[in-house]
Amino acid sequence: MQKPTWKSTLKGYLYLLPALLILVVFSIYPIIKSFLMSFYTDYDFFSDTVNAYGLENFTKLFQDPNFITALKNTGIFVIGVVPLSIIISLAIAVLLNSKIKLSGFFRTIYFLPFVTSVVAVAIVWSWIFHSDYGLLNYILGLFGVDPIDWLTSPTYAMPALIILSIWKGLGFNIIIFLAGLQNIGNQYYLAAKVDGASAWNRFKSITLPLLSPTMFFVSIISIINAFKVFDEIFALFNGRPGPANSALTVVYYVYQKFYEEWEFGLATAAAFVLFLIIFLFTIIQLIVGKKFVHYN
Amino acid sequence: MKKVISVLSLFLVLFLAACNNSSGANANGSDADGPAEVEFWHAMSGPHEEAIKKFADDFNSTHDDITIKPVNQGSYEDLQQKIMAAAKAGNLPDMAQATTNVIPEYIDNKFITSLNDFIEDPEVGLSEDELNDYIEVFRDSSTWDDTYYSLPFSKSTRVLFYNQTLLEENGLEAPKTWDELQEVAKTVTKDGVVGMGFENSYEAEFQGILKQMGGTYMDEATGEPEFASKEGQEAMGMISGMIDEGIARTAGEDEYMSNPFGRGDVAMYIGSSAGIPHVGGAMEDGIEWSTAPIPTLDGEAATTFAGNDIVIFNQSEEAEQKAAWEFMKYLTSPEVTSEWSMLSGYLPIRQSALDTEEYQKFLEENPAYKAGTEQFDAGFFIARVPGGDAVRNIVLEEMDYILQGMKTVEEGLTEAQERAKAELQ
Repeated sequence: MQKPTWKSTLKGYLYLLPALLILVVFSIYPIIKSFLMSFYTDYDFFSDTVNAYGLENFTKLFQDPNFITALKNTGIFVIGVVPLSIIISLAIAVLLNSKIKLSGFFRTIYFLPFVTSVVAVAIVWSWIFHSDYGLLNYILGLFGVDPIDWLTSPTYAMPALIILSIWKGLGFNIIIFLAGLQNIGNQYYLAAKVDGASAWNRFKSITLPLLSPTMFFVSIISIINAFKVFDEIFALFNGRPGPANSALTVVYYVYQKFYEEWEFGLATAAAFVLFLIIFLFTIIQLIVGKKFVHYN
Repeated sequence: MKKVISVLSLFLVLFLAACNNSSGANANGSDADGPAEVEFWHAMSGPHEEAIKKFADDFNSTHDDITIKPVNQGSYEDLQQKIMAAAKAGNLPDMAQATTNVIPEYIDNKFITSLNDFIEDPEVGLSEDELNDYIEVFRDSSTWDDTYYSLPFSKSTRVLFYNQTLLEENGLEAPKTWDELQEVAKTVTKDGVVGMGFENSYEAEFQGILKQMGGTYMDEATGEPEFASKEGQEAMGMISGMIDEGIARTAGEDEYMSNPFGRGDVAMYIGSSAGIPHVGGAMEDGIEWSTAPIPTLDGEAATTFAGNDIVIFNQSEEAEQKAAWEFMKYLTSPEVTSEWSMLSGYLPIRQSALDTEEYQKFLEENPAYKAGTEQFDAGFFIARVPGGDAVRNIVLEEMDYILQGMKTVEEGLTEAQERAKAELQ
């Protein structure tokens, strides 16, 4: 590797500059600003004058039963979506990676949900989930299952949301997994076959370990995305956080407080708490990841 | 390599120029001597937007010194969010449509101009007669402590939609009282049809019944919510009782009641009069339908009026504000409001517009619009206080718990009232 010179450094920075500018203006500055805003307890948002600082927003936040509900729901959502999504997309990726006809066609099919607008997807799913006229209840009915109120019962709203989100996220995970799978050299499989390893053993002892960096990446991205869920809820439940707050998540809570109720301090405090949670999870993943992830 | 760097720097220059441009440009873009340019933000789309454009064009062609620029900002929520952002950036338009319940926030944060100086101006103002020509309930909902902050524009009320075909098959008429309504609902609830429907935002019906029972939802003067009273519990009990009994339902997953009503799955429902064109569109062939005034309770009639007003923002120059006032006067003039209401389905906001031959003829041809105009005297509006939207979220949420059977009526309403109180402090 060449030693960095002033010239090369400067050139490097010049390349970074456009992206950096956009990031600073639209991400870094708002993050810092909203972090500060969460400590404003007496604040005029529009004239931007702060009369008092304090931790009141945070104490108020944790006394709000809705915020606790939001935390709980977000937790359930993450647990419901991330593992299942990874398992299913890995299985589909392995199938698509094997030599089958029309695999390009299927890759497109699986990727479609990811590139379709969330709102359009959610509207289609709200038809599928419809209790009287929905496709899902029709199919369940063929197996003798009574119609389920997917979107209007607090018990089933979260499962409905999880189903939608898993389906929606598959495409992205599959593409990443496919890229990872294609990076695994064929010689390992050939050698294993010579030794008489079964398909399951080959998957367990070759594919999984060699795929671990990809798996690591996918799991971090999936968890972060799951914590940030919002659009799907807004579109699926017509701008309400599900029946009886059953799909109220932290980001939805932030939206409600900020845009509907003009509680800017509370909203930014909630956003900051979410940031801390995601940060914590990522750190844990990094630590755990060090143990299990093999980079060739 | 040089080429790449020059492309990059070009991009950078363009980016910086774009930044500079957006912050440097004057939102109102008016010169001292040119015509006053007035930006009017609204949330009307489709044929409604066309109508507004036409009004603006007509106005511009008769006023050489004023140019009105109507701008569609998406839905009501989008409009509200953009106004919030624009206020923060100091980039507010000159005038905008505004839902009555956000106006207290605008007053509180000093975004909007009091209209009294304009109204009382001998030259450009409104005469006593003209002012009184605005329908009383709308005039009242535009004033705060004798100060006008808005004028009514796209207003609506609640009406009872009913499936005429189905009711006639059962030998029934549109109910006039809540008792009759429950009887009708009981009779027609069968074969997959539910008798009565409530919109997802049925807090308006709760407020109406509560008022009919003699209760108060919220005291505007003190800002105290009072809906958990005995009357409140009875009102909510009536709604949840019908739903528990299976003779009523909410729109739920269908989003708006016009959908199941149009399919013939629901025999009657209470909804906004602004929804009449949507119901017409959702109706399946062979179903006759119409509307009736909101049923009375023990002879008491009461129904909420809601909708949008127009406000003038105070960040603009005086000339623009004056020009905006001229356009506001024009939009609420008898001719325009009657044309607007025939086009859009909103209520005419001037008594004289209602009395015109044209409008009366329109009502004869479109009897569904009649019910709305018949209940001006029974009209009221919900206390307008800052934080009203937060209270609405709380009430809808607790009502949800009640309907889901997770709380009793008493528990839900008491909890809602306490939370609302804490919110409003």
